[in-house]
Amino acid sequence: MTCRELFERLSEYVDGELSQELCQEIRKHLDGCDPCVNFAKTLKTTSELCRRLPSQPIPPEVAADLRSFLTRHLPKPS
Amino acid sequence: MTDERALIAASKDGDPAALDALVRTHQNRVYGFAMRMCRNVEDAKDILQETFLGMVRSIREFREESQFSTWLYRIASNACLKKRRRGVHDPTPAQELSLDDLMPRPDAEGRKPEIADWSDDAERALLRGELSARMEAAIDKLPKEYKIVLVLRDVEGLSAEETAQAVGLSVAAVKSRLHRARVFVRRELADYLAESGKTGSRESKSLRVDHTQ
Repeated sequence: MTCRELFERLSEYVDGELSQELCQEIRKHLDGCDPCVNFAKTLKTTSELCRRLPSQPIPPEVAADLRSFLTRHLPKPS
Repeated sequence: MTDERALIAASKDGDPAALDALVRTHQNRVYGFAMRMCRNVEDAKDILQETFLGMVRSIREFREESQFSTWLYRIASNACLKKRRRGVHDPTPAQELSLDDLMPRPDAEGRKPEIADWSDDAERALLRGELSARMEAAIDKLPKEYKIVLVLRDVEGLSAEETAQAVGLSVAAVKSRLHRARVFVRRELADYLAESGKTGSRESKSLRVDHTQ
């Protein structure tokens, strides 16, 4: 496996989505290739950091606007 | 959480209290997603309203083959992909991110590229509160077809299958876009950490993709 071939599959590798055979080939390549090891590690870190980005909670006035919007646009119960 | 299936069943029968409970349960999630996709409150409000109006109008069509939240992400994703953001020039639609452009290259003498392991530096920068804004900016540089896949998969934590359902793509297409988007954001982080002196030199100045043209 070349660096280019490994590079193409790296997200699937760090996500654990590849077959055992492919994983073994990748590990064999990684054994002798420091740039690919570091690339794989930092790619995984990138994904993990994304998961930890804080999300903005809905401000109370936006929630209130949503409620009145839905009330205006929905058919009244008969 | 109240039994969501019971709320869904009651909502399908038109129970306004059940619909309201579903809105309240999911409004933070949808708002957070919309804010990340649009980056301004007015646009996020539009997405939020469109999503929940769509939910209320079509809840009878929800067949419970997927998670309810995935179904909502699908409505919200459609709204986001249709939306032209206020005051923002979105990167060219459907622009392909090329793996060849994104892959670090050997130098002129054919030596392997120098790739630093900056995982621990990034972790520390995140804890100091420095990194979030940089990451958000990097994610926002992506063309939105890539951005939405990365946000659903890596930020919101959906599986590849759920993301595929939400954006109406095959799982293979989701994986391909995710990989390109992730490699792009990774390089932005690598460059930021190099520029702020936390790691070695920039990896790939000459290989940067400019999405503003």
